[in-house]
Amino acid sequence: MKTSVRTIFNEGDGHAVLMLHGLSSSPLELRYLARFLNDEGFTTCVPVLNGYTAGSQEQAMEQWLDAATREYDALAARYERVSICGLSIGAALSLALVHRRPQAQAVALLSLTLAYDGWAIPWYRFLLNWAYYSPLRSRYRYRESAPYGLRNDALRAKIARAMERDDFSEVGPSTISLPALHEASRLAASVRSHVRAIRNDCLIIHAIDDETSSPRNPRFVASSIGSTFLRTIWLDDSYHMITSDNEREIVARETALFLRESEITSRTGDAGGKPVVSKALARRLRQLAAMGKGRA
Amino acid sequence: MRLLLHPLLGPVMPGTAFSVAAVLIEYYFGLAPALTVMLAGLCIADYLFVPPYAVLGFIDRSDVLFIVSFPLVALIFITLVERLRRAQFRAELIASVAQSRYEMLLRHDNDRLLARRAVDETHRLLRHLSQHSKQFVLIQALERTPEWTNGTDAGSPRDAVAGVLAVTLPPAEIAPGPRFDDVEPEDIRRLSNALWPGSHRVRLRACEAAAMHASTGMQCETGDSAAQLVDCVCERFTTHAGDFLVLRIGE
Repeated sequence: MKTSVRTIFNEGDGHAVLMLHGLSSSPLELRYLARFLNDEGFTTCVPVLNGYTAGSQEQAMEQWLDAATREYDALAARYERVSICGLSIGAALSLALVHRRPQAQAVALLSLTLAYDGWAIPWYRFLLNWAYYSPLRSRYRYRESAPYGLRNDALRAKIARAMERDDFSEVGPSTISLPALHEASRLAASVRSHVRAIRNDCLIIHAIDDETSSPRNPRFVASSIGSTFLRTIWLDDSYHMITSDNEREIVARETALFLRESEITSRTGDAGGKPVVSKALARRLRQLAAMGKGRA
Repeated sequence: MRLLLHPLLGPVMPGTAFSVAAVLIEYYFGLAPALTVMLAGLCIADYLFVPPYAVLGFIDRSDVLFIVSFPLVALIFITLVERLRRAQFRAELIASVAQSRYEMLLRHDNDRLLARRAVDETHRLLRHLSQHSKQFVLIQALERTPEWTNGTDAGSPRDAVAGVLAVTLPPAEIAPGPRFDDVEPEDIRRLSNALWPGSHRVRLRACEAAAMHASTGMQCETGDSAAQLVDCVCERFTTHAGDFLVLRIGE
């Protein structure tokens, strides 16, 4: 049975969230998050991007970016604010998009992947970069294997069964072609070069045990990005697919909170937006502000 | 440094300086640079500090001893430091998780305190309404939904209170009280545009002023058309459903 790939769109208020899934995957992997954000009032859109989403012919990463930009512009024409949220390579694509469209409200980077350097990536993975320039380019496909980005055993078993009978599951594709991986590397290199120019509010959520992209990826962005409102959240009970794994509720709740705080902050010009009545939180915010000044 | 000390040390401990260098590189830069330094040190030390000096292609017992002992010692130290570095990296990540959770906890605690404050204010408003039910002139809603509650306390209390108050609020966001019609319309218009917490003075209509005088035992001339000024009190209530200003005639 072939799983259908189609855009997920949920109508909400004037703050729309463009959500970009992972490489050669489908909007299914962001279904839970999209539904949660919509329940919190956001308009959510998880588009199918031609040349990037599973089931379409691979295209250059510039085509991915153009397709994402078109989706962004379509939302920006209809809604007052548009934020961008990406998972895995989708997070790298989000950074590239927010660099191209700096008027975006905020960007949320979930399991950001700028390099495949997690603990489950085989040591010979670098050979695939060379294989792209060989006849293997169109013949070989990198096959996903356990743990499929999931720490949850029950869900992992279910995904393993789905991978066996279908091209992709709700957490991603069973195989990825070499051209797609090559374009992802190009996209990551492009993002690395201009991440310092990004000034939008930024949320980073990453699992410390991410088996696909190590914590060095978000650390690089957190230390380089020019955002004044930057929040980093580390998880310890998930692997790469944090939108489907054990802590998906935390991911969804914190993403919704951050996007709403970003909206209120930009509307009122007040740092944080929400009144701070907790003395402990006020103390912590002062500490963070002092650390920010020290870093600057 | 080993080269400077060579006249003094001679063939003694030819690899020590390189072992120290490899361990320092491992501590500050990681495994791959440390192994590179160790291998480079092995070649350099064997060439320069193991007799016969500066001769290639001659291997004797001292060379073999050095080639075995130096990497062995250096690798033991590098391995230990690498393990400590990995444990440190892991500990830093776990500390980052703890910090993230602490900050999440603080944010949720702040939300809880805000919600409790709003509940207290709602209760105060309800007590106020019941205590001064006959003295109200008007209730003005400043905003139906405070910005800071957007989507954060998607909770039942806010919805419930909003539902109750929505019934009482007319479209103009001014709810008339029992004494609304007693106040001069001009004062009502003025207050509708510029109402703030604190004391106000309004004019009661003539007949109502007479009735008030009668109820308080004061004398009032029949047919007196002059309106009477009375003191009013306006209070602000920040509730789940938004901010409200309540104007009532003072005691």
